[in-house]
Amino acid sequence: MIWTPYEFAQAGMIGTDQVASAATQADRNTVLGFVNRADVANRLQAMGVDPKLAQERIASLSDQEVKSLASQINSAPAGAMSDAWAVILIIAIVIGVWYLWKRM
Amino acid sequence: MIIARGRQAVAGNARLVAGVFMLALGALLGGCASMAPQTRLLGQNGLPPGVPRHFELKQVPFFPQDEYQCGPAALATAMSAAGVPVTPQQLVPEVYLPERKGSLQIEMLASARRHGLVPYQLAPSFSDVLTEVAAGTPVIVLQNLGFASDSWHYAVVVGYNYDRGGLILRSGETEREIMPFILSEMVWRRSGYWAMLVVPPDRIPVTAEQNRWLAALAAFERVGERPRVQLGYQTFLKRWPDNANGWVGPANTYSAAGDLTEPARVRREGLARAPDSPVVLNNLAQTLSDQGRDQEALPLIDRAAASEGPFAEEVKKTRAAIVAKLNGGRSSASGN
Repeated sequence: MIWTPYEFAQAGMIGTDQVASAATQADRNTVLGFVNRADVANRLQAMGVDPKLAQERIASLSDQEVKSLASQINSAPAGAMSDAWAVILIIAIVIGVWYLWKRM
Repeated sequence: MIIARGRQAVAGNARLVAGVFMLALGALLGGCASMAPQTRLLGQNGLPPGVPRHFELKQVPFFPQDEYQCGPAALATAMSAAGVPVTPQQLVPEVYLPERKGSLQIEMLASARRHGLVPYQLAPSFSDVLTEVAAGTPVIVLQNLGFASDSWHYAVVVGYNYDRGGLILRSGETEREIMPFILSEMVWRRSGYWAMLVVPPDRIPVTAEQNRWLAALAAFERVGERPRVQLGYQTFLKRWPDNANGWVGPANTYSAAGDLTEPARVRREGLARAPDSPVVLNNLAQTLSDQGRDQEALPLIDRAAASEGPFAEEVKKTRAAIVAKLNGGRSSASGN
């Protein structure tokens, strides 16, 4: 029950979730049919998230987001750390290029 | 002689290396325009209208990141600036993914909802970022700072100086990082120009596109507290009263609260604005039916059924239910 957004619980009502997404009817059926929030929560758990937290995290996603998360959890960029040296290196190269360009 | 030859050879090699290097640099520089197309446009077209030449949100707090936890740090920065004081430590359980040693974009968006803020992913545009910052909202950007390998990083844009050509960011352990536009774009471009912001529900981001903003509110509806969700929809309708889809949410949230009269009022108001919207018609018919007023509901749902649309299936179901109730003799014209 935790997965059921309340607008779907209201029989006969069309929710903003449905009208606002650009998804077609077929897309929506796919999302609702194949996205299983519990499965995605399990995958979060497998990646080291506490089970209760994993459920809460999944609960705050839209259907579309659950679907994206399911397909990208291993590949999507995970912002992590500041690699200051890489930045300094890039800056050094940009300055170098600029300097040499001026001299040419 | 041997030594001299050696020197000559070295000198010749050096010239060759220098030549190749310059050639490579030329190619690199020639490529620069295409490496940072938006920076070039910003240089050519200038700033978006009404945006000052330099601007900085000096009061935006700074949370130096712990190892790998730039996601929580960036999010805490943006959320605190939006009036919800949180610390990165509080957000770690909401966005950090231990196995990946980082935070995913989707979870960055979702976390804000749990704290009563509406997240919005910006259009992939440099000038939109500057416009939002100038309007007072810091913007979280996803950068790839890696050189040989990927190194994803969230930083918060809090200002810029157009004349000096640089962004001002809260980033990692640096409270006030100044990064040239061209470099900012090079590292940002690698995330597909991903940028997000968070605002309270009564504020609409200045660059928000109405349908995408409505989708942002719909996603917020799922976990947001009801009064804040209502506030979001009301603010939306004040700005875009003719958006038929905008009328769907407020009434549904009243219905969900078990209120039977207010939804009908809001839906009628919506119907006056958007008399042909099958969604508005369907939901009003359903509301009336829930009140036992199926006689009144029938002509409305018939109007909805007359138009083919993406919700034809739902409309058909609603109509079937109303007709069944009428035929079952449970129809009632009672009510106010």
